[in-house]
Amino acid sequence: MNDLRSRIAAIVERDRRRHGEAGVSGGAGTETLSTRETPSLRDGDPSRAGALGAGASAGLPFSVFEQRIALDDLGLEIVGRGACDARLIAHLGLKGDAPARWQDVLWLDTETTGLAGGTGTYVFLLGIAYFAEGELVLRQHLLHDIGYERAFVETIQAEIEPFRACASYNGKSFDLPLLRTRWVMALRSEIAVDESHLDLLHPARRLWRDRFGSTGLKQLEESLFDEGRTSDIPGALIPDAYFHYLRKRDPAIIAPVLEHNARDIVSLVRVADRVAVAVLAARSGRAPDHAPAAYALARSFERTGELDAAFACYESAFYDGDNPLRVKLALAFARQLERRADVQRALRMMETLLELGLGSPRWREQAESRVRRLTKKRWRHLKPAS
Amino acid sequence: MRTNVRFPARVSLEQILDGLLRDEEFQQMVTRWETIAPRPARYAPFPEWLDGRIGAALRRRGIQQLYSHQAAALDATRAGKHVVVVTPTASGKTLCYNLPVLDAIAKDHTSRALYIFPTKALSQDQLAELEGESTDMDIELKTYTYDGDTPPAVRAAIRSAGHVVITNPDMLHTGILPHHTKWVKLFENLRYVVLDELHTYRGVFGSHVANVLRRLRRICEFYGSHPVFICTSATIANPEELARHHIEDDVVVIDESGAPRGAKVLVFVNPPVVNRNLGVRKSALLTGRDIAATLLASGVQTIAFARSRVQTELLLTYLRSRFPQPQWPSNLIRGYRGGYLPSERRAIERGLRDGSVRGVVSTNALELGIDIGALQAAVLLGYPGTVASTWQQMGRAGRREDLSAAFLVATSSPTDQYVVQHPEYVLERSPEAGLVNPDNLHVLVHHLKCAAFEIPFDARERFGTEDTPGVLAYLDEQGVLHEAGGKYHWSDQAFPAETTSLRTATNDNVVIVDTTGPAPRTVGSEYHDGKARVIGEIDRFAAQVLLHEQAIYLHESKQLQVERLDWENAKAYVREVKVDYYTQAELAVRIRVIDEFERHTANRGFDLAHGEVLVSTLTTIFKKLTMYTHENVGWGKIHLPEQELQTTSFWCSLPERVVAGWPKERIEVALAGLGNLLHGLAPLFLMCDPHDLGLAVEVRSPHTERPTIYLFDMTPGGIGFSERLFRSYEPLIARAREHLDSCGCRTGCPSCVGPAYALGADVRESVAHLLSLA
Repeated sequence: MNDLRSRIAAIVERDRRRHGEAGVSGGAGTETLSTRETPSLRDGDPSRAGALGAGASAGLPFSVFEQRIALDDLGLEIVGRGACDARLIAHLGLKGDAPARWQDVLWLDTETTGLAGGTGTYVFLLGIAYFAEGELVLRQHLLHDIGYERAFVETIQAEIEPFRACASYNGKSFDLPLLRTRWVMALRSEIAVDESHLDLLHPARRLWRDRFGSTGLKQLEESLFDEGRTSDIPGALIPDAYFHYLRKRDPAIIAPVLEHNARDIVSLVRVADRVAVAVLAARSGRAPDHAPAAYALARSFERTGELDAAFACYESAFYDGDNPLRVKLALAFARQLERRADVQRALRMMETLLELGLGSPRWREQAESRVRRLTKKRWRHLKPAS
Repeated sequence: MRTNVRFPARVSLEQILDGLLRDEEFQQMVTRWETIAPRPARYAPFPEWLDGRIGAALRRRGIQQLYSHQAAALDATRAGKHVVVVTPTASGKTLCYNLPVLDAIAKDHTSRALYIFPTKALSQDQLAELEGESTDMDIELKTYTYDGDTPPAVRAAIRSAGHVVITNPDMLHTGILPHHTKWVKLFENLRYVVLDELHTYRGVFGSHVANVLRRLRRICEFYGSHPVFICTSATIANPEELARHHIEDDVVVIDESGAPRGAKVLVFVNPPVVNRNLGVRKSALLTGRDIAATLLASGVQTIAFARSRVQTELLLTYLRSRFPQPQWPSNLIRGYRGGYLPSERRAIERGLRDGSVRGVVSTNALELGIDIGALQAAVLLGYPGTVASTWQQMGRAGRREDLSAAFLVATSSPTDQYVVQHPEYVLERSPEAGLVNPDNLHVLVHHLKCAAFEIPFDARERFGTEDTPGVLAYLDEQGVLHEAGGKYHWSDQAFPAETTSLRTATNDNVVIVDTTGPAPRTVGSEYHDGKARVIGEIDRFAAQVLLHEQAIYLHESKQLQVERLDWENAKAYVREVKVDYYTQAELAVRIRVIDEFERHTANRGFDLAHGEVLVSTLTTIFKKLTMYTHENVGWGKIHLPEQELQTTSFWCSLPERVVAGWPKERIEVALAGLGNLLHGLAPLFLMCDPHDLGLAVEVRSPHTERPTIYLFDMTPGGIGFSERLFRSYEPLIARAREHLDSCGCRTGCPSCVGPAYALGADVRESVAHLLSLA
């Protein structure tokens, strides 16, 4: 009988080939990583790497790294400053009740051993941030070995318990389901931090996708803050970096991941601030220059019932936008005009779009019926009151 | 036999059978006309502990008492014992598990049950039935199907609120177990697991399922529940053994049916020999078509079972041409097989129940307990391969208490000829055993990875094999697992459950894409909306034979020609054509022995062994054969890469002295003939299809250095057929002699050693000579 080992090897190798994962998964990944140049650390990082080394060698199951950053250094204008306005929060992608203060929001981002989800995907790094004493406190929890998950989760649980709202970038469908799974696996309990959740991915996508193409955090950093990441570890390599770290325990392997996570959280907060700035500007009549963004905000204002701001944004989007966008927003814009008793203008706009032959047959049907209704209404208005 | 299909005479089944009995031409084909007497019911009262609402509701439905086997099942589950119920089709097996489940939920609202059905279609039926029962009983019961078709929006509700979750092994494997933390309520309160149609969980699929169940039990353990398993099975020789493999615990077998049975006529039909020299019989397909047409023309609702997808489609085409439109309604006869869309299948099932569909041509897909109501007659085109399947398919007719009929029409294959000439094989013999090999290393390692993904492995834990620690340590070394604190954790990015399908041992299928444009005459049909659409998928091994370029692939009796096969990306692009031929690919097989597990010298120096082999297959050419006469009208080349299969094989090599002095050609012919004969008869000993076994012969094997016949498992890693053959060699040879002696041909025919015109004029004689020396 063949050696068991070589037979399993054949099976495992075949599975790997079949899924085109050679060189990425498992043992083969080790080589990929060791031949890859390890990104250099940024300012202050050597000390962190030292601390990490200490934690790992002292046999602690996990380490916590804390940084405090002044709000001014982050360039924050709205977020983290002053009171937290419930309507503003709604524009930041809120699901659930609005938190009363910025300090009540827990900003978070996880690094995981895979993207597939499910019970075998571990969260090995949880970065959280919150506002305290005029600073952003960033705390990163790094699990040194997935075998000691329970203690890791227990500590984090205690730390995040006071928060009832969280903010994330795509956390609704990625980070939180994974955390919930880890909570069940380690503690058999529920995680409560996401009762209110600000998922910034959605507003960011609405505001900027059209303009920047992608709305990944990295892209937003480049486009909004003009700061490119030069030495960032690509997200796809993070799981393997961690598996490599599990075996080698070399802090230099995991340092770039900590750096990546810290940047993601800081960017998350700054992106939220930019969304808030755009909202406040539009409220005071300065709608975004970019028409699709103005349109997105208009809709958001409609949802929060801020109709004047919605009107300003629709108007701006209509004038700056191209014809397809005009068609898209015309019916809603006409409704706003009608509300402001500007039936004439609403009619003129609809008729022009129809004359230009724009829109799908279905849209034209709706537009024509709107024109008929508006025409009737105009006649009523023109008739002298009897 | 006369068939008068144009003018339907509404005659009863009794009259048709009477007519057939007096039809001399038909009677010449009949090898056995068996009438099974009706059997009265045996009853037992409702158990006292059963919730009052359940009994009351059953009485309202006219059920005053239980059948004896139902009561026995209830008592056993009540005592916390695992149960396997083995009774015929339509004996009320469903109540055997629905009643304990309903009772548990009536008494404790937090109780949960998991129903596992082999196919989606089955679960649809169960859902309707269970919902009907619980409404009647005034028990609040939320039942949901959770499978690939479940919309994401309702999944969350099902996970927390469903009392009974109905699913299939595939969904359990990829959708539920790896996400068990979302199912906390279910796993914490799981009282019952229902495994319906247990006999289908055999072979590769069964070996996978047994491992999925190991994972399920691990997860239940994690959440602290200990569910009772209730299994149902068709009649097989080893229900207890099979259930033990799946449950890995003691099982109570309940196999005395208390249900009544209507009178039934079973007819074994052997189509007449057309050419005695060539041993060619009239096609079973045509004979079966005539019987089915006779029944259908008289309004008898009939099901015809074909052996393969191709045959299903051919028979459908033939029957439809017998009942042309507009004189006959368009959906009088429908096809039904794997590869049809779920919506199509549902429509056909409905049509069968409400009677608008009068006939259906099916592969074994409908052999399972899908509720299609009471059909009156079944026509089996060819022996279904196992005694168990034969009874299942015959049982499709006559689910109620009235007269029904089933016809088994034999093809000229060796198994068919054996069965039709020895009908007692089906009627008297106990059926085959369901074989599984959950410890097949290929299968086990895969599921062990899935299990580690689900819950970290304790270093002392056992998963099937005793060598679990060895496998764990190996996977740790490979970086797939990570050992820490005495536990092995999953440490890979991949989602292991998605890398293997349970249905095939190799996990990639070739998808069939129909690129036919819109055709005015079929507007409204699901196929031609002007876009390319996926109409089915086939595993790679079958694909090299069925989907090579220029192959004619049949779907819903449409002929589709493969225009392009994208082997890399596993896609076959087909377009509808109208031609009068079908295609058949030829497969070349090479074999290399890797490891010999066991060896033994049988009578007179015949050497037997079984072990591990590497089989290489290559399709090189295909033939075009005319539709009705099967004449060869052309051929073409196939350019596909060689396929490799590592599996287990049984082999038998002849001693030098037996063939001493034989010319090489004679050895070749004799070996090929004996190989065909053994390959044809081997399924009689295994619960398998002839296609599950591969055959290769070598005049001088590099391994044994002698003339050798190989019979190998078509499944990577093997599932135990070869070892079974190794141990059944004596009876196999005995049956081969018996079959060859009684075969009506002179020089060799497809029913025994193979056609003499293809192999050599002396094939029968040389095989007989060999057998006399064995």
